[in-house]
Amino acid sequence: MSRESLLIATLVELADNLVDDFDVIDVLSLLSLRCVDAVDVDAAGVMLASPGGELQVVASSSESMRVLELFQIQANEGPCVDCYVDGRAIINHSLKDPDDRWPQFSPRALAHGFHSVHCLPMRLRGRTIGALNLFRTARGMLSDDDVVVAQGLADVATIAILQHRTSLDAATLNNQLSNALNSRIIIEQAKGMVAQANNFGMDHAFELLRSHARNHNLGLTSLARSIVEGTLSGRELDEPPKSKVR
Amino acid sequence: MATDRLLTILMLLAKRERSHPKAGSLCSVAAEFTNLTGAGVALLSSGQQYTSVCTSNAVSRKLMELEIAVGEGPCVDACFSDFAIDESDLATNLERRWMAYSPMASVAGAHAVFAYPVRIGAIRLGALSFYRDVPGPLSASQSADAYLMASVIGRAILSMQAGAPRDTLAAELEREVTFDFSVHQAAGMIAVQGSMSVGNALVALRAHAFATNASLSELALRVVIREVSFDPRTGAWREESGNSYE
Repeated sequence: MSRESLLIATLVELADNLVDDFDVIDVLSLLSLRCVDAVDVDAAGVMLASPGGELQVVASSSESMRVLELFQIQANEGPCVDCYVDGRAIINHSLKDPDDRWPQFSPRALAHGFHSVHCLPMRLRGRTIGALNLFRTARGMLSDDDVVVAQGLADVATIAILQHRTSLDAATLNNQLSNALNSRIIIEQAKGMVAQANNFGMDHAFELLRSHARNHNLGLTSLARSIVEGTLSGRELDEPPKSKVR
Repeated sequence: MATDRLLTILMLLAKRERSHPKAGSLCSVAAEFTNLTGAGVALLSSGQQYTSVCTSNAVSRKLMELEIAVGEGPCVDACFSDFAIDESDLATNLERRWMAYSPMASVAGAHAVFAYPVRIGAIRLGALSFYRDVPGPLSASQSADAYLMASVIGRAILSMQAGAPRDTLAAELEREVTFDFSVHQAAGMIAVQGSMSVGNALVALRAHAFATNASLSELALRVVIREVSFDPRTGAWREESGNSYE
């Protein structure tokens, strides 16, 4: 399969998963273009890790083959791979030939006229899900301001991915949310009832609920529900042992 | 172009998350993005309880509490409808809507109110409401922006819930948004004080807040710290001088 077909296939596969009005590829493509305008670089791309751990470009500021090829090489070797694995930005790395660190990637990038490459991690809940990859033809370094802007754009890309992924699972998540909210409400109501019945503060009331639930192998929500529905009185709960070792 | 506007929303969110991680940025971004005076978001629990998630300023908070207290208003309507709610001149109130809510909302400073269902496809989470301090309709682009914002908010909230264990409200949500659980604690206490169901206790709390022109959350806090209680023999509310409790 040619490089171009592979890229198109990836995009199509992602496009199949898109739901209603939210076109994540569109957003990320626009973001990549914005990146080139906002930061002193000449090409930008958003790379995401596939389930197998390989990085794939999902949006790029340029359709030129020289740029796409450089993304392609980074499936297994290159600054973005390092950035993804370590979760740390790679900034102002001057490309050189030969390069022990990236023997495949660096010579190709130089051959295509780029002098430095930069990768900003896309981090979500403590994990790195991909990287924002930037290429620069001019010599010299990216300014500190540019680095801040670039990381900010990487963060936006992460939010966009998150928005997209959430729409894929919306029904399940919404059920979980509305149930969790309901459970939480019931627990707070039970706390109030227990606090009033025993003349306790809220924290003590909560401790009472938790220890009774533990002692009787009950879920906290189901215990709270019995209190709120009146099948169990707040005065009937087991007092937790006074000397508690934390 | 919609993608352009969407990218702007995501950038506003990213900017706020960096500088104000606990601020409940969804509402502030909503107001800023649509250029309206204030915004509020409410969620429906599985028990059909209507819960405030965030509000962008003091007036929005007051309006949200008012809707919860009187059980009517634009956000309530949008929660249960499939289309946008719009009242561009609350003081005049040509359509004679919300006879309890409208005059009080006007007094609080809202001259126009708008609300949008927060949904992902057919899945209904709650509603996004706005107010403006001068009367007048939304422009077509403001309306499009509001729809887009509602969509992003739905996904953002679900994405926060995605990391949580079963039947638990996500810690991220508790941190980022401002659920008012003290109202439910107070309802539990009043239920025991007045020997009534928690449902009736909630109604009694709302009625008393409304009658004394106090905010529901202020009243709830006073109940929780035992400054206010309910005497079932007289059916009256009592101000205490400060009881001690364990």
